[in-house]
Amino acid sequence: MTENPAIIEVKNITKRFGDLTVLSGVSLSVHKGETVAIIGPSGSGKSTLLRSMNHLEKINSGEIVINGETMVSSPKGTAEYVPEREVRRICGEIGMIFQHFNLFPHMTCLQNITYAPQKVKKQPKAEAEAEARRLLELVGLADKADAYPGQLSGGQKQRVAIARGLAMNPAVMLFDEPTSALDPEITGEVLAVIKKLAENQMTMLIVTHEMGFAREVADRVIFMADGHIMEQGSPADIFERPQSERLQSFLRSILRT
Amino acid sequence: MTETFSYIAKILPALLEGTKVTLVVFFATLLLAIPLGLPLALGSDCRFRPVRWFCRGYVALFRGTPLMLQLFFIFYMLPIYFNILLPALTAAVITFVLNYAAYLSEIYRGGIGSIERGQYEAAACLGLNSFQTMFGIIIPQTVKRVLPAVTNEMITLVKDTALVSAIGVADLMKNSRSAVNRDSTTMAFLVAAVIYLILNVVLTKFSYYLEERFSRHEARAD
Ligand SMILES: Nc1ncnc2c1ncn2[C@@H]1O[C@H](COP(=O)(O)OP(=O)(O)OP(=O)(O)O)[C@@H](O)[C@H]1O
Ligand SMILES: [Mg+2]
Repeated sequence: MTENPAIIEVKNITKRFGDLTVLSGVSLSVHKGETVAIIGPSGSGKSTLLRSMNHLEKINSGEIVINGETMVSSPKGTAEYVPEREVRRICGEIGMIFQHFNLFPHMTCLQNITYAPQKVKKQPKAEAEAEARRLLELVGLADKADAYPGQLSGGQKQRVAIARGLAMNPAVMLFDEPTSALDPEITGEVLAVIKKLAENQMTMLIVTHEMGFAREVADRVIFMADGHIMEQGSPADIFERPQSERLQSFLRSILRT
Repeated sequence: MTETFSYIAKILPALLEGTKVTLVVFFATLLLAIPLGLPLALGSDCRFRPVRWFCRGYVALFRGTPLMLQLFFIFYMLPIYFNILLPALTAAVITFVLNYAAYLSEIYRGGIGSIERGQYEAAACLGLNSFQTMFGIIIPQTVKRVLPAVTNEMITLVKDTALVSAIGVADLMKNSRSAVNRDSTTMAFLVAAVIYLILNVVLTKFSYYLEERFSRHEARAD
């Protein structure tokens, strides 16, 4: 595992919203081909951590390196970002999947997927569409190419969002609770797609409340609480031999519900 | 009865002539103010302060003073203070465009502001720059949302065009008043009212058609 290059390296980052410190001294790395799950109670900073990695939030201090390129570092203690254009280019290596899908409602599924490759990567339309159809096939929605997001179920929307993210051919995909907005009976179809990506050695970082899923697909599980990484290890370590009292009580509270 | 009809037939050509002028003011304003509202809307939220201040000041000025006064200013005062003499119709169109762009820009700004933050975030995560995000993602979604409010403005515009008669433009309003003054009967006003009404009914129908078209994909709400 360690011989694989790190796709994401987060070093000692701190993020505050006003007086509230949401991340304090968080460090982690995700290596090529790895699937890492982040679990933890609500408000522990999981989303903020993910959002900091692709510049949806600006950190206060620390360092973030994506695919070998430094996006932000803190030589003088406070965070200094590389120029805007560079940030955008570096973040281009990161795909993100949101809880609420955020598909573009005025575009068909095909247009949702092909828009960015055409605009950002200057891919020719025919090529982008061929790739989009391949990705729709991958997520099991080949027949929905010309449907609008408004005509899809939640699970289908999320699968289109995944295809859209993959179309940019990112080095890593971040998932922020990809199934939390879905009815329980349709989370499976989305999880199955993510599992397939894991089997294809896609590098992924997944915030999830689905413990069964984390256990099944993750190579490594990270437990966060109060803006810290409290514990990390293999799924077996985390779920069967939790060390900290916080993790033990978190797992008990999850099992109870 | 037949007398009434023959009177209407007599004044109708002048009223229709006036209607043409009314429509010129209407369409010129619509075609120019609708696009002009957009840079004003974007400028009003621009991070660069001078641009923001200019746009907001502009909007405050044109929304905060009577349209009639603006009309008089451009028609009577520009020649006096700046030595710019404009034909009445041109002055009228310029005033209306400047005024309606201000109102429309506020509608656009509200519409743009109503687009969920998630849309910007998704666009950013796909590597789209702010221009691509604005024109490819945000504004196309805004169109549908602002359509009813823009239609409303356009209906007001049809009626506001009557103000141009105050600087002597021979529109529907002015020509009907001439007929009333000349013939000592208010029948021309009634006919004018019917014509304004017809224009707005057509406009409303057209806007329903547009709204229908723009909401075709919204089979489900969420
Ligand atoms: N934009 C913001 N402004 C102020 N506080 C914020 C903002 N975003 C998040 N927070 C706060 O930061 C803390 C961490 O939020 P975050 O969304 O990262 O938690 P989370 O672990 O993802 O929780 P959940 O499981 O509920 O999604 C919370 O206390 C939250 O209220
Ligand atoms: Mg969260």
